Amino acid sequence: MSDIHLKKLTKSYGGHLAVAGINLHIAEGEFFSLLGPSGCGKSTTLRMIAGFVQPTSGEIIIGADDVTSLPPEKRDIGIVFQNYAIFPHMNVADNIAFGLKLRKRPRDEIRRRVTDALRQVGLSGYEERYQRELSGGEQQRVALARVLVTEPRILLLDEPLSALDKSLREEMKYWIKDLQKKLGITTVYVTHDQDEALTMSDRIGVMQKAQVVQVGTPQEIYEAPKTLFVTTFIGHSNVMDVIVGSGSGSDMTVLIDGNPVPTRGPENLVPGQPVKLVVRPENVVIGPDQETPVRLPATVLSETYQGSLIRYRLSLGGQEIIAERQNQSGNERFNPGTPVTVGWDPGRSEALVA
Amino acid sequence: MQEETNIPFVFKAISLISLAILLVPVGVVVLAGLNAGDYLTFPPQGLSLRWIKAFLTSSMFLSAYGVSFVVALVSTLISTTIGTMAAIYLTRSRGPFVSFLRGFFMLPIVLPGVVLGLALYVFYVTSDLGLARTMTGLLIGHVIVTCPFVIATVTAALVGFDRSLEEAARSLGASPFTAFRLVTLKVISSAISAGAIFAFIVSFGQFEVTLFLSAPDLQTLPSAMYVSMRYKFEPTAAAAGIFAIALVVLSMVVTSRLVNLKRIFER
Repeated sequence: MSDIHLKKLTKSYGGHLAVAGINLHIAEGEFFSLLGPSGCGKSTTLRMIAGFVQPTSGEIIIGADDVTSLPPEKRDIGIVFQNYAIFPHMNVADNIAFGLKLRKRPRDEIRRRVTDALRQVGLSGYEERYQRELSGGEQQRVALARVLVTEPRILLLDEPLSALDKSLREEMKYWIKDLQKKLGITTVYVTHDQDEALTMSDRIGVMQKAQVVQVGTPQEIYEAPKTLFVTTFIGHSNVMDVIVGSGSGSDMTVLIDGNPVPTRGPENLVPGQPVKLVVRPENVVIGPDQETPVRLPATVLSETYQGSLIRYRLSLGGQEIIAERQNQSGNERFNPGTPVTVGWDPGRSEALVA
Repeated sequence: MQEETNIPFVFKAISLISLAILLVPVGVVVLAGLNAGDYLTFPPQGLSLRWIKAFLTSSMFLSAYGVSFVVALVSTLISTTIGTMAAIYLTRSRGPFVSFLRGFFMLPIVLPGVVLGLALYVFYVTSDLGLARTMTGLLIGHVIVTCPFVIATVTAALVGFDRSLEEAARSLGASPFTAFRLVTLKVISSAISAGAIFAFIVSFGQFEVTLFLSAPDLQTLPSAMYVSMRYKFEPTAAAAGIFAIALVVLSMVVTSRLVNLKRIFER
């Protein structure tokens, strides 16, 4: 087990920057996700850590070793691919034994460790099966067993859930996380699915256009996004066009329809400067009886029933925002056209420079 | 697996007719070879093993059969090796000349055999390499002709080959060569065998190129059959044809058995 340092890691393909000098420290035993849309450079970063892509510049340090120029087979890293890459000409036992055979372990030790690995991933008795006889979830477990049996220093997972159907994906999400916690192995998880990243990770690195734009715990990323991209990519957000009323940083106001509204924001803002005000739909509360520091008049445009939630489209100072309300008994419902009061906790809003 | 009953009757009929048409010449050759008459005629004038015996005692035909077999075997081995390597290069290299090279390698299939044979003949005779009318010269011709078949089948397999299998092997501790040997080569092995069978059959039946490269003491079965037909019109040639067909069928059966057996052992 080891930590990972990426130092100014860069990959360019003929002038096009796929990864633009990223710096990251992934702690020992940490579950770290690289989250971003396709083409943001997250897979290239993972492939550079694995050794399949040679960085243009920068360093990759695992534990105390600079592995930047080492080939994949010398890095002691386990990787699980999106399509699992189970060797089709070998049965499950031979697949899992592959790494141990290359390490020239004695035959009976290999057999014992293969049996243990299969038990660990809940596939005891699958030794003789072939890839074509396995479901997607089973293939993934075999791929994990094949990697973990060699006891690598680092575990890399490249969108491992994207090929599974929804219910299995939910199940595997918790299963992988539990296994990782039990083994305490440093894990880098690449995904474009914010849900996976939020549920599984200790920390998330959000990537956009070849750069890491924010690193933080799932809660930090969700509740205190630093850029407009992060706030819109992770979860839904209301983004309102407003202008700065006064101040900056944690003690500032913006003007909505002429009303000063307190919020958090970046430093060095000038009154009158146009900014975006970001509020999550679940933080927008509706109704005259709400006790929130921010209270503004709005009109209900439409109401959508979503089971556990009721979703309202509202017009606020000429802009459209969304409010989500728990569908609890006793919660008042509002018909389209009704004038209402909306509000939110200023600590749950964020002014961002576009 | 699709139920046989789902295939429309018309399709079955068309396949049966096509198969029959393709197999008619084989039947004709076999019957002609078993002819009891003095000349090559069809339908045969009674059946006998007379011309089979004539073939088995003809030194010209037997040596031609031997030459063809050796040439086919050796050129298959060479073109399977070269062709597999070429296919790997053609599917994996990102160089600017790859598509040009691919076309270049496929040229022998497109080029009329006569043109290729003539070109090689002129080259052998005018150069001082001493290849004219030699076994080596003949083998080179056959490798050129059979290689594209190996390249085509192996390329098809490699295009569908998932590179992450190789990367998984690398990550588990295999050197590039070990990963190739233990994973890639195993996965594409049936395509390589198919290419080798193709190469063997093409080489064994090769005529036009051989015509320019063979010598009276270095004659392959197809050219011996042609010479015999041209000057004698004896059914020996048809009897030789029976043996040629038998060899090709045998080699296919043996190869498919070998490949299958290997699969069974691996399980």
